[in-house]
Amino acid sequence: MTSVTGHTSARLRWAPWAVFALLAAFPLVAPLLGLDFYVGFVRRGMVFAMAAASLNFILGFGGLAALGHAGFLGVGAYALVALADAGVRSAWLLWPAAMLAAAIASAIIGLVVLRTRGVYFIMSTLAFAQMLYSVAVSLRAYGGDDGYNLFERPAFGLGLDSAHEPTFYWVVLGLLALVMALFDRAGRSRFGHALAGIRDNETRMRALGYPVQRLLLVAFVVAGAVAGLAGALLVSHNAFISPATMHWTQSATLLVMVVLGGIGLRWGGPLGAAVWIALEEVLKHFTEYWHLPLGLLLIAIVFVAPRGLAGLLATPRGTGAT
Amino acid sequence: MSHFRVAGLVKRFGALTATDGVSLEVARGEIHALIGPNGAGKSTLVHLMSGLLRPDAGRIELDGVDLTPLPMEARTRAGLSRCFQITSIFPRATVRDNLLLAVQACSGSSLRLFADRGRETRLHDAAQALAERVGLQSVTARIAGTLPHGAQRQLDVALALAARPKLLLLDEPLAGMGAEDSETMTALIATLKADMAVLLIEHDMKAVFALADRVSVLVYGRVLVSGTVDQIRADARVQAVYLGTETA
Repeated sequence: MTSVTGHTSARLRWAPWAVFALLAAFPLVAPLLGLDFYVGFVRRGMVFAMAAASLNFILGFGGLAALGHAGFLGVGAYALVALADAGVRSAWLLWPAAMLAAAIASAIIGLVVLRTRGVYFIMSTLAFAQMLYSVAVSLRAYGGDDGYNLFERPAFGLGLDSAHEPTFYWVVLGLLALVMALFDRAGRSRFGHALAGIRDNETRMRALGYPVQRLLLVAFVVAGAVAGLAGALLVSHNAFISPATMHWTQSATLLVMVVLGGIGLRWGGPLGAAVWIALEEVLKHFTEYWHLPLGLLLIAIVFVAPRGLAGLLATPRGTGAT
Repeated sequence: MSHFRVAGLVKRFGALTATDGVSLEVARGEIHALIGPNGAGKSTLVHLMSGLLRPDAGRIELDGVDLTPLPMEARTRAGLSRCFQITSIFPRATVRDNLLLAVQACSGSSLRLFADRGRETRLHDAAQALAERVGLQSVTARIAGTLPHGAQRQLDVALALAARPKLLLLDEPLAGMGAEDSETMTALIATLKADMAVLLIEHDMKAVFALADRVSVLVYGRVLVSGTVDQIRADARVQAVYLGTETA
């Protein structure tokens, strides 16, 4: 059975889950290797992997190049900050609330931007994200331009110590695995097949009787909600949020991550995020001007793997349309 | 008893009136052919009827239901399916996945996000039946875009049939086909009228006269004349504008 998210040979199908197992073991091994610092680094990478995966859901399946995805990250983050500021402590209230806020924002914005396609879609998503950015800047109560410090990490309850770094790491890892498993399932569902059909031939899909707008809106809201969760995890991780998180350059970075990893490929988002964040970290060690070598490397990668890095691992037949 | 009815349909593109007050009817179980020289407005009319374009005036109804305000997807669910002059399939997917997608559209919700579609045996059975109906059962595993032209056209028809339409719009189904493919397609179209009404836009006069119960001739966006095949053959006006060279 083919799937929207791209064929991966049977040998490689379980490879990503093996990576998850390795990631789970990392906080146990890191202290022995003197790599404690990197527990937090990898955790941040996993948050961006989730954000990139959510963008890949609408870009890869639905063919919608949204250039405002960081806006929903921000909505999730600020929703968490607002509730935390009001005294809510439980992560299991704060994170779902962040998802809900981002879902509502993406539903309202989606109703407007999904009337457009192509360049107009890119520009209108950009415009709305910049509006959200401006709103964040004007939020004096939460620090405005300077940002907001989250003094206490959301509480996990269940006897888990939220201040314990590896515990938070495992929680993020678990949520990322859950999100990826659900996206994986969605790729093989009726919904995923329909989305891929819209991406490949929207007119024919309408002629077949599909409620194209409604399907795209649901995809947009799902992607927005998951981005909201990533935003909530990001502010939990950094203990800080500022409007810079939702600047359009952040949205562009997410797009580059997806392109780098492989548009429409199941693991394209996480892979692209991982490579981007690792390259950024390594290059920063060598030079303050890390943007230039990073850019050159990205261009090189695009030449070597035009379908993205995950495309190198997939079978030549590549992305089945449905 | 009228089944599909178009009345006073008008479509203007700036100063050009591409469809100029077209009225026509297609009865149940009838193949109604629409012919006319290039630029007569046949494709515009198909787009208006299928909902890809909105008319400036006029009314489109099927079984008494007014389709005029409905978007294309709603018209399909109301029983009006179409094929495309330029083959419109999902070229990167297999034939089976093409058919599954078509069948899925009209059998339950596509908002099922997490249930594996691969396990829906009824969907697979329906797709298989559709493949057999149009004669593609031996190539269901092929990538659709790699099929020969004739088979891709058959797939295009199969996609439109999935919705079990009451009226099927066929926009030049024989375009670009060789003699053998044309015969296959003509035979396929002939089997359709048992289940639905067909509006056939076609340039191939041999096929039109073989298939059609009635014919309408479109010239400059207007219906010049409607009638049985024999009436159209005999009509002097039709011969003058259109058939003169073809039947000579």
